[in-house]
Order: sequence, then structure tokens, then C-alpha cells
Amino acid sequence: MKSDMGLIVKTTARATIPLIGIFGAYVVSHGHLTPGGGFQGGATIAGAGILFLIAFGFGEMRKRYDHHIYSALEGLGGLVFLGMAMLGLGVAFFYNTLWHSGPFFDGQPGTLLSAGYLPIMNLAVGLKVFAGLISAMVAIAAYRRWKE
Amino acid sequence: MSFIAVFIWSYVLWLVLTAGSRGLLWSSQELVAGVIFSAIIAFATRDVIGEKASRFLNPVKWAGFIAYTPVLFWGMVKANLDVAYRVITGRIKPGIVRVPVDLENDAQYTILSNSITLTPGTLTVDACPEEKALYVHWINVTDKEPKSSEVIAGSFEKWARRLGR
Repeated sequence: MKSDMGLIVKTTARATIPLIGIFGAYVVSHGHLTPGGGFQGGATIAGAGILFLIAFGFGEMRKRYDHHIYSALEGLGGLVFLGMAMLGLGVAFFYNTLWHSGPFFDGQPGTLLSAGYLPIMNLAVGLKVFAGLISAMVAIAAYRRWKE
Repeated sequence: MSFIAVFIWSYVLWLVLTAGSRGLLWSSQELVAGVIFSAIIAFATRDVIGEKASRFLNPVKWAGFIAYTPVLFWGMVKANLDVAYRVITGRIKPGIVRVPVDLENDAQYTILSNSITLTPGTLTVDACPEEKALYVHWINVTDKEPKSSEVIAGSFEKWARRLGR
């Protein structure tokens, strides 16, 4: 299946896909400081992938998309979230031990390395949402037999 | 090389987004986090941005883009006033014309097409590099078969050829 988009869309997509990606990473990593967080940032990064899929077509996407990697990344995101929740299991499930007595992520509130496990959980949720949405979109794009 | 181009391109946006984390400057945590995230983004998109994108790392080219900004802005102001005049008087003669251009690569076509679209009254419909032409929807066609883009875009083609080279 060849891409139907013209030269201008493709060139603009080349320039903007990294910018959408880094903006999504900013939203995810500052989830404890500014509006946004794991889901919003992950959906933003998935938007960059969907822009790639639409601008360059399914043929190009199929060359770069490996569903084993994306499946593993989605599982990894869920596992990291669970691992962070179990860190303070000595007191309670979801006890924020990194914030109360942790070796890192216990900085001054308002700085990047504060709020205990929250930044790590945001990164995990962002990774999971990104991998899940990209996998869903590629699966829908790959479903090409249209029966009347 | 395209890895470095994407890395710098995304790190600059990170620095713009996180400015003010220490006074008006950046805290060291934000700088380090920016390096990590930009490296991830650059690794993931290094073959998306195109292999010749590193030519835009040339500072001479940045000066060219800065010099182009007032030219484009002044063209937009003039064209907006012209469209306001046409809205009031209703003197329009719309049509799609084929404009031959003398450009070589994708970036030049993109810069010229976006400049034409940004100046109101003209709208790029399609860019055909194989026949070296743009198809432009024009609000007031004065020349049905223009020989160059001079009558539509003024000096924009010269700028696009220089900036995208």
C-alpha cells in the first residue's frame, strides 16, 4: 500500500515528529509538577507515531514496527508501575517510601527529582500508553480486507 | 550525523520548555534529563528526519532563517491588507494556476509552499517535484500561465532556494 500524502506533508512530518516526541517526554517527566502526566504524555508521543503512519503510509510503518518489541515495552511499563507500588510493602501497598526515606527522588518539592515514586510511575504509564496506542493503531491499519 | 541533528533539534525544544527552572536559567537536573530524553527521541527517529538534515546545523543557515523572518512577515502584512480590500469590494477572480519553479530538494519545496500558503490570497494545492511546478489557488488571477513564481510569491523562491540548499 503506497502512501497518498504529498511532499510537503512528508517533509513537515520529518521535522515535527521529533518535536512531538520530546514534548510528550516533557509532559510525562513533569507530570508531578505541571498539568499532564503519564496518560497525556503517552498519548502525545503516540500522536507522533500516528503522524508517521499517516504521512508515510502503512508500508513504511510495517518496516519499522516490531510487535514483539512493543508488546514487551507495554508489559515492562505495567511491571515498573507494580514494582514502584510494591517498594514500600513493609508499611503498606503504594506506600511512597522513596519520598519518606528514599535514597533519591526525595528532593525539594518543585524540582524534577521530587515526589518519590511519582515520576517513575508517570514514565511507566507513559511507556505503556504509547506502546498500547501505537500497537492498536497499527493493528487497525493492518486490517485491510474491507467486505461489503 | 542525522542522530546528532535530531538530538540537537529536540534538545533545543527541551531547553525552551524547561527554561526558568533555576532563576531564568536551567537547573542541572533538567539539563541531564533533557540529554537522556533527547537521546532516546533521537535514537528512535534518527532515520525519520532524513539523512541530509544535518545541513541545517550550519549557523550561516540559522542567520538566513532569522533574516527571512521580517521578509515573510512584511509579505504577510501586505497580503492581508490586500485580502481585506478584496473582502470589502468583492473584486475577486479565483482560479488554480500552475507555477513553474526552479528548486532541487524537498526542504526548498516545503519552505516555498508554506510561504505561499501563509501569504493570504494564495494557497498551495499541490507540489510536483517531478514536473518542477506548484499548483496554487489564487484569489485574483492576473496571469493565467505564469512563467516564474515572481508574480505570485515575489522574492520567496530566491529565499527558499538559499535556505533549503
